[in-house]
Amino acid sequence: MEVDDLVVQYGPAVAVDGVSLELAAGERVALIGPNGAGKSSLLNALCGLVKPAAGSVRIDGRNVTGQSPGAIVRLGVTQVPEGRQVFPTLPVEANLLLGAYGRDFRREPVSATIRYVRRRGQIQQRLDRVYTLLPALRELRNRPAGQTSGGEQQMVAIGRALMAEPRLLAIDELSLGLAPVVVQALSEFLLKLNADEGVAILLVEQNALLAFELCERAYVLEAGRIALEGTSAELGENERVHAAYLGGLEVEA
Amino acid sequence: MTLPQLVLAVAEADVRTLLQTLVVGLSTGSAFALVGISFVLIFRTTGIINFAQGAFAVMGGLFTVGLVDDLPTWLAATIAVVVVGLIGAVFGFIAMGFRGRTTSLASLIITLGIALLVSSLELLAFGDRPHNYPGISESSWTVWDVVINPQYALVAGVTILAALLLTLLLRKTIVGNALVACADQVRAAELVGINVRSVTMIAFAVSAALSALGWVLLTPVTSVNYDSDVAIAVNGFAAAAFGGLVSIRLAYLGGLLLGIAEQLVVVYGDRVTDQARQYELAAALIVILLLIGWRSRHEVEPA
Repeated sequence: MEVDDLVVQYGPAVAVDGVSLELAAGERVALIGPNGAGKSSLLNALCGLVKPAAGSVRIDGRNVTGQSPGAIVRLGVTQVPEGRQVFPTLPVEANLLLGAYGRDFRREPVSATIRYVRRRGQIQQRLDRVYTLLPALRELRNRPAGQTSGGEQQMVAIGRALMAEPRLLAIDELSLGLAPVVVQALSEFLLKLNADEGVAILLVEQNALLAFELCERAYVLEAGRIALEGTSAELGENERVHAAYLGGLEVEA
Repeated sequence: MTLPQLVLAVAEADVRTLLQTLVVGLSTGSAFALVGISFVLIFRTTGIINFAQGAFAVMGGLFTVGLVDDLPTWLAATIAVVVVGLIGAVFGFIAMGFRGRTTSLASLIITLGIALLVSSLELLAFGDRPHNYPGISESSWTVWDVVINPQYALVAGVTILAALLLTLLLRKTIVGNALVACADQVRAAELVGINVRSVTMIAFAVSAALSALGWVLLTPVTSVNYDSDVAIAVNGFAAAAFGGLVSIRLAYLGGLLLGIAEQLVVVYGDRVTDQARQYELAAALIVILLLIGWRSRHEVEPA
């Protein structure tokens, strides 16, 4: 995935002001920065949720700027949204299956449903795979997703995204509101997922320590622009990063 | 009419009249219930309160009346329901407006506008007198001296079947789950790739068809007029409000309660004042308001 000079505006307010970044297949990259730096706006523009005012997004060299979220999902990029956003009244398993159904959507539901029914066997295999990767979900399959814990909901959201068979998982705030031990388990899971399945990870995170631990490279976003970039090791040594994000954690937040 | 007088009138009444009233109330209530469920379905998937719901119902009744002279009744009724369903889908497309720029309040105004337009067109096409068509049977059943028009049984039966099928659709099928997903978390639904607008159109189509179905079945025993839609929308909305706009089961119950309350006012109110019919809707709404007040002490589970 390559992003070139991307600008996102909400009315007169500029949230992302000319950001360029790139991500190779199977890479783990973090996007850190304080609240309001434009991290989520950038991610939403990559995933087609908001239309960028300028600049371009390419996946495998193909220009996908301004395309619908569904089109992006079919090209292999799926977002795990901030605050998890599971479908609370539906059982966990229905949440997961909708991840596969969404991928079959083009314009209208009739052909999507036909495609979904035809792929039923394949989807069942995928579901088994996700249950193997996240065994806790198998236990919870019939429980309404809204009645599970925060960590479990994050697993549901990740599982739902995995059902679309992504090559890149874009995660918005993995650690938000979760206990450190849960975050630790999730981050180990993501490392394993990346190693075993080759799924690339783009992690948007306020917790820089976690971001550096999980990712090979990182971009620091400040006021809608890339302030710094480098490997996690380099950035971890950087004095500015240290002061702003590691030493006095979330001073600017 | 004072309350003690009404209570006295009710107490005086014989059981047969009461049962007769309940039978009629249950069937009109069933049609209200279908409209109420339609409100819930659209509100849950889109956040829009669709005041054209009454117009869908009236369209169903009038289309059947228009077709019934040339076609067998069942076919005319089926065509009417399907056509109203399709109109509903187009309608949903319009009411959704522009992605991200049309608020649900604006959508509500659009639905009001289209409802007015529809009833004007109906006035042009069908005139201003009430219409009806012969129901499934001329004869009636008599049970314990209570006259039951088979049409009443049909409305009540079809309604409960439709409500059950809809619940099943939402819970057990992937399309139904997608509808619920749009209602629960619209951004997440978009992010997994679901085309929210097209799913919304399904919600509108199903709602329109359900509302039409209720009135198609009820028309033979009441009648339908170009301007019946306001009363139907108010009744349906009250039924939906009883379910907090999110519960299909409670909306169904709310519809039945309204239907019964209105019949009680008509039948027993007549003994107190000859203008009882005028207060039919007002009295029923007061009943539902009190019930909503009582119910609102409990949390409503979306279903």
